[in-house]
Amino acid sequence: MNGDIHERARMLIACGEEEPWLAAHLESCAACGEFAGGTERTARALRTIPITAGWSLVSATQMRVRQRARELQLRQERLWAIWICCAAVTLIAGFTAAALWSGLAWIGERISLAAPVWQMSFVVFTLLPTIVTAILLLARGTHLADNEEV
Amino acid sequence: MADENAEIALGLRRRDPDLLDRLIEQYQHRLLRYLVHLTGRREVAEDLFQETWVRVLERGRQYDGRRDFTGWLFTIARNLFVDQQRRRQPRSEDPAELATAATGQPSALELAMQHEQSEQILAGMEQLSAEYREALSLRFQEGMSLEEIAGVTGAPLGTVKSRIYRGLIALEPWLKGAGL
Repeated sequence: MNGDIHERARMLIACGEEEPWLAAHLESCAACGEFAGGTERTARALRTIPITAGWSLVSATQMRVRQRARELQLRQERLWAIWICCAAVTLIAGFTAAALWSGLAWIGERISLAAPVWQMSFVVFTLLPTIVTAILLLARGTHLADNEEV
Repeated sequence: MADENAEIALGLRRRDPDLLDRLIEQYQHRLLRYLVHLTGRREVAEDLFQETWVRVLERGRQYDGRRDFTGWLFTIARNLFVDQQRRRQPRSEDPAELATAATGQPSALELAMQHEQSEQILAGMEQLSAEYREALSLRFQEGMSLEEIAGVTGAPLGTVKSRIYRGLIALEPWLKGAGL
């Protein structure tokens, strides 16, 4: 029990915490008082350890950070370009789809085609590039998988 | 302090290179000292020092200014160290190496007089486990509160207290050797 009190007192001293009973305990316990003094001297000694960053380390770090900042800025600018291209492509695709829809509707009307027929043509026209690309990619993937197995 | 943190957060969001230059200069000694005690090797600490600032630049947008910048900076440094430790195999170290490597050039006569004492303490610190070293360094060198240390290390408050206490006990023979 007594040992616990000393351990508690020393833990409080080490962590720089205070409790009402601690001051009284330190007055009556020489060992804990010595520990408090030692802790204070340790803290002072640790603060005086001269570990300093050299000028070369600081300037090399600043240079590296600036270089990385430039790289990130360039990447950001490229990303912006990609976003603008994507937006432009989406816009153009929208206009093209609208024009295609009107064009096919006009042709369907001219040659008296049933609406579902030219509408199906529109769907095929619109989806054909995606379907072809998907088939090609799948074929390529299968080919790679086959090669891996061998 | 809150204003300063908010200003830093704003600058980091803009990736302001002038602000980073200023921060590197402002925190150079504190960060390096922490890293030297954390890693136990000056050259590793210097590598991590640079990595830390590059990471601050890259992740600066995640800093919201509500937390103290010092704590956030040290957390980044610590996470980098932990990542590095995971990647690397543990190396054998010469206990005397840190003492000679980490002790900088004494800039004044009084520092020269303290040289031997500092070497003793550094040698003692080197004998401690990284967790104790880190806790003592943050507490007594950086003057962080227990809560701040818990924030940096990600350890519960009780663990932080225990590390400081046990670190001090383990360091005692070296301090006596240094005449403290």
